[in-house]
Amino acid sequence: MARLTGTGRLADDLYLIAHHEVSGKPLLQPRAAGLGLAGALLAELLLSGRIQIGPDRVAVADPAPPEDALAGSVLGQMLGEAEPHDAATWLLYLARTAAADVAGRLAQSGYLTRASARRGWRGGRWVPVDAECAFVPVARVKSALDPSRELNVHGAALAGLAAACGLGSRLALYLPPKADRALSEAVRRLDPGLRELIARTQAAVDSALLSHRV
Amino acid sequence: MSRTQTARGKAGSVSRALARDRLGVPAVVFFVLAGVAPLTVAAGVIPTAYQTTGLTGIPAAFIVIALILALFAVGYVAMTRHITNSGAFYAFVSRGIGRVIGVAAALVALLSYTFLQVGLYGALGPAAQSEAAAHLGVHAAWWKWALGAWAIVTVLGLLRVDITGRVLGVLLSAEITVIFAEAITGLAHPAGGDLSFATLSPARLTSAGFGTFGVLAVVAVLGFVGFEQAPVLAEEARHARRTIPVATYFALGMIAVVYAGVSWAMAVHNGDGHVVAAAGQQGPGLLFGLGGSGVLDQAAQWLFLTSLFAAALAFHNVVWRYMYALGRESVLPAALGRTGGNNIPKTASLVQSATGLAVIVAYAAGGWAPMTHLFFWLGTTGGFGIMILLALTAIAVITFFARDGRGESAWRRLIAPGLAALLLAGIVVLAATHYDTLLGVAPGDQVGWLLPASYALVAVIGLAWGLILRIWRPRVYAGIGLGAHAVTGQLTPPSERSQP
Repeated sequence: MARLTGTGRLADDLYLIAHHEVSGKPLLQPRAAGLGLAGALLAELLLSGRIQIGPDRVAVADPAPPEDALAGSVLGQMLGEAEPHDAATWLLYLARTAAADVAGRLAQSGYLTRASARRGWRGGRWVPVDAECAFVPVARVKSALDPSRELNVHGAALAGLAAACGLGSRLALYLPPKADRALSEAVRRLDPGLRELIARTQAAVDSALLSHRV
Repeated sequence: MSRTQTARGKAGSVSRALARDRLGVPAVVFFVLAGVAPLTVAAGVIPTAYQTTGLTGIPAAFIVIALILALFAVGYVAMTRHITNSGAFYAFVSRGIGRVIGVAAALVALLSYTFLQVGLYGALGPAAQSEAAAHLGVHAAWWKWALGAWAIVTVLGLLRVDITGRVLGVLLSAEITVIFAEAITGLAHPAGGDLSFATLSPARLTSAGFGTFGVLAVVAVLGFVGFEQAPVLAEEARHARRTIPVATYFALGMIAVVYAGVSWAMAVHNGDGHVVAAAGQQGPGLLFGLGGSGVLDQAAQWLFLTSLFAAALAFHNVVWRYMYALGRESVLPAALGRTGGNNIPKTASLVQSATGLAVIVAYAAGGWAPMTHLFFWLGTTGGFGIMILLALTAIAVITFFARDGRGESAWRRLIAPGLAALLLAGIVVLAATHYDTLLGVAPGDQVGWLLPASYALVAVIGLAWGLILRIWRPRVYAGIGLGAHAVTGQLTPPSERSQP
């Protein structure tokens, strides 16, 4: 089988970090994972210049349909709304289906497969095809947080979103002791729109936790 | 942009999809009543209160406090609509009065809820002890049972289990049914054959001097603690302007009827003159004895245990959420605001468990009475702290709307909160000056001032810390009271903000 080298899409990488690389077991509460992946889907559109994120609203900057079907469907939903919504609203809305959507996209690219029903009640879960490939995004975060390297926008945004939805403790297992500071430093160097999105994702996850919904 | 034009027909599908996920009034009421735990109050607080205070105006106090809290709730739910993190008293105080006092309020709230949570082990232990001795033939000290309950709360806290939804609904309905059944049978068998309404009369509130009202008010407010949690769900509520107020008033009314009714039935069944002595002899049995039927009373005793446990877990979750929010704001150590696997805030949960363990061990080692000295003393002190916070919050509502009325009526932003602030502050003063009566100790006894003074101590620490943050850590200072939204609030430099 050809080596899988990553889809280069933020939400795909975040999904893989948020699930165990061998068993495919989720490492986050469903709602937190959904919000994190929703943030990553918005970040994909932001990085490809399709949308702009301000404090009060998410605006479509370029309505041309993107290559990726999932990104296209998110953009289509934004175009379909008469009133613009803020990032928090889009996060909540996309969070409802983000995990299933991203898993489907990863499966299509050959990264995930359904666990066989022979495993009993665990059957039907998405499991990584190759555990090593599933672990690559963690390494991507690690190298993005290396202060001696230049800013890697994809890696820094991935690290920021992962920490925002509660994957900080998982990342901490593989990162050097002072990675906390490196992470906030990397996020601070991102564009205002991305920073806003990461902060909104964090706020949405915390808010769900504080209002007993996680 | 022709695509935007043609898609107009689908407008609002995002809002509609999100609305489906939101909570209606029943969900919010159940959430609120989880912390209220009716049987904990009916079988635990009320008999112990009759016994330690020696006052018989408890039924009247529940009604009067419900009215005062309803007055308070007018401004409280109005302000909920205009701030974030609205489940926490210190958020109101931070936005209304100022962030320095907000930090003090945060620490007072943390201490109050800790007292309330830890105190519950003092009732759980003896209740489990007597049930086990009577039905299982197991004889063990109260503190062993308390430690058992503590261990389960600790584990469930770490697994992030909230007793919610169906389980809670069943438990609550059963508790309320049992309380009504006990109360009705008790009222059907009045002492001496006469149904006396005397304990429901407001005259009873000041029977042993005006100060007794303060004492009774703190006992009564203990029964309502939990009602203030409704705005926690403000961001999840279906109708921003309606769900939270309706749920709050409904919960207040329901709690008032249940508690006033059952405490009145206790006085009627035992006789106004004898209820205090009966409470001393029977403890929680004062409630279980009303029914006079084996099945009902047995059900009540088991439900008392589950009610205490549900309350202990609910307050455990309230305390770690407070710590977590303060940790996120970096007002408390940031470690409290971190989560481990599965979004579990391990540190905050474990800190609260450690407090519980320390208190249970201290009481066991000191040989102090669990029901009066742990459950009632710490519980009422927690209630007293909530009273302080209610008074402060009422003031915060007035000052918040004084800067900008935000379209709220004068009744909501000034008159109702003004009256509530006066009454609540008056109660705080009365209770503080009659704290010995509240605890049932001799005038001049040390605990009579030590327990209330603990709030003064944490308030001073909070004020000092708030000032330090203002001078040296302006970014943290800017986020005080914003809870989950501190992270977005801190994006904007403090100089660009219009709020104080």
